[in-house]
Amino acid sequence: MRLTALLAMAARVKVPPDYRYGTSRPWTVGAQRMNPPGKKRRKVFVEPIQPEDWSLFKGDTVEVLAGKDSGKQGKISQVIRARNWVILEGLNTHYRYIGKSGEYRGTYIASESPLLVREVALVDPSDRKPTQVEWRFTEEGERVRVSLRSGRILPKPVVQRRDGIVPEQWKDGPKDTSPDDALEKTYSASLKTFEEEISGATGVVETRAGRRTFWY
Amino acid sequence: MAATSAGRALSLCRQFQKSLSISTALPLQHTNVLTSCKAQLSTFRPKFCLLHINNMGTSLAQQCRALHTSQWRRGLEEFFDETPNWGEPTVKSGAPWTAKQLRTKSSEDLHKLWYVLLKEKNMLLTVEQEAKRQRVQMPSPERLTKIERSMKRLDTIVQERENALRLLQTGQERARPGTWRKDFLGRTFWYRFKEYPIPWYLNRRYKRKRFFTPIFVDSFIRLRIESHLHSKILKKKADLENKRKLQEKFSKLSATT
Repeated sequence: MRLTALLAMAARVKVPPDYRYGTSRPWTVGAQRMNPPGKKRRKVFVEPIQPEDWSLFKGDTVEVLAGKDSGKQGKISQVIRARNWVILEGLNTHYRYIGKSGEYRGTYIASESPLLVREVALVDPSDRKPTQVEWRFTEEGERVRVSLRSGRILPKPVVQRRDGIVPEQWKDGPKDTSPDDALEKTYSASLKTFEEEISGATGVVETRAGRRTFWY
Repeated sequence: MAATSAGRALSLCRQFQKSLSISTALPLQHTNVLTSCKAQLSTFRPKFCLLHINNMGTSLAQQCRALHTSQWRRGLEEFFDETPNWGEPTVKSGAPWTAKQLRTKSSEDLHKLWYVLLKEKNMLLTVEQEAKRQRVQMPSPERLTKIERSMKRLDTIVQERENALRLLQTGQERARPGTWRKDFLGRTFWYRFKEYPIPWYLNRRYKRKRFFTPIFVDSFIRLRIESHLHSKILKKKADLENKRKLQEKFSKLSATT
């Protein structure tokens, strides 16, 4: 097998089809301890929600309908589609010690528990009450979430990129291609192959005929 | 290093060289070795500068520099990042090339871009290796993934164009010839042809390969088919059971809400 393919395989984590997803990502140490390769865990039934019907995104404000913090509103900090989970900032917390070593008991922190999507509801910005949401099309043809009670459009929350870059404030570095150059069209369709075009452009004339080879 | 005036002009032109906007009017001032070669400056064709034995006054290094086939006059420093970036914990980098942007470029541009990306990749791999040696974190490792993705997409575009041309001119769907064959266990697989300098009947190692199934394997093939059919039935049953359980759990839920 090719070396590059082998190394790529080692880098990517292979997850079995009946993998039980948790709050940690599959390649982390904690997740590997919970789901070691041979272990078969009890199956969890996840409600099948179609990708186009999913209406909760990171950064949305939602209200909790059931559980310890029912009635409170919070922002979604993480969405785990495999289990239909959302994790809200600072809500539905339990407390635990982190960073325990030897005799030191560690830091006491509040860690959030995930909530199912059926246990939360999006908050209508006009009256700040939980509401059911539907996907509809605007006049322009854009697909948006609409609150069923008031008919107000709920815009998708703007989330900061993980690398912290704001596209509007970006300044090109010395190695970056300017937008005009990147979008400039230099391609013209021709019946020459890639190699023929390059050798034609560089003026290379190949007069040698290769030796006869056999394909089998 | 090139003469100072040429060096300054080259550093100004570096931006143009790194990007794809290849300006045709480049103010270049060569060293005396290069001016002796009749180089075409208006187009970016590789210049085959011949070593002039007359130039005994110039050093060997300068004469070797005459063999460059491009404008670039830098040495091993290309394996390293720019000096301001040394020691920085993060280095800013833009977005990778998308397939849509690459499709608008000509073959020449793609060819040049490939080597620009390759040299950048070599530089980043050097940085990565040095970071491993020093046992520190590599600054901005996402640059490597961006380069790799850009190169992969470039390769995809070139393959697309090649595929389209081949389909048009010959109707062949695959670039590499192959055929369906049976191995010694009775399994059918796509055998891809290899290029050899000698015909198959003279190739002793090839003749030792068996692309047929002996008769005694037939009973095992039958068992294999049976087990395959059984697993298909089991999978179907499992799917139905799963569907039933989901219906039971979640239709009850939607009934109550």
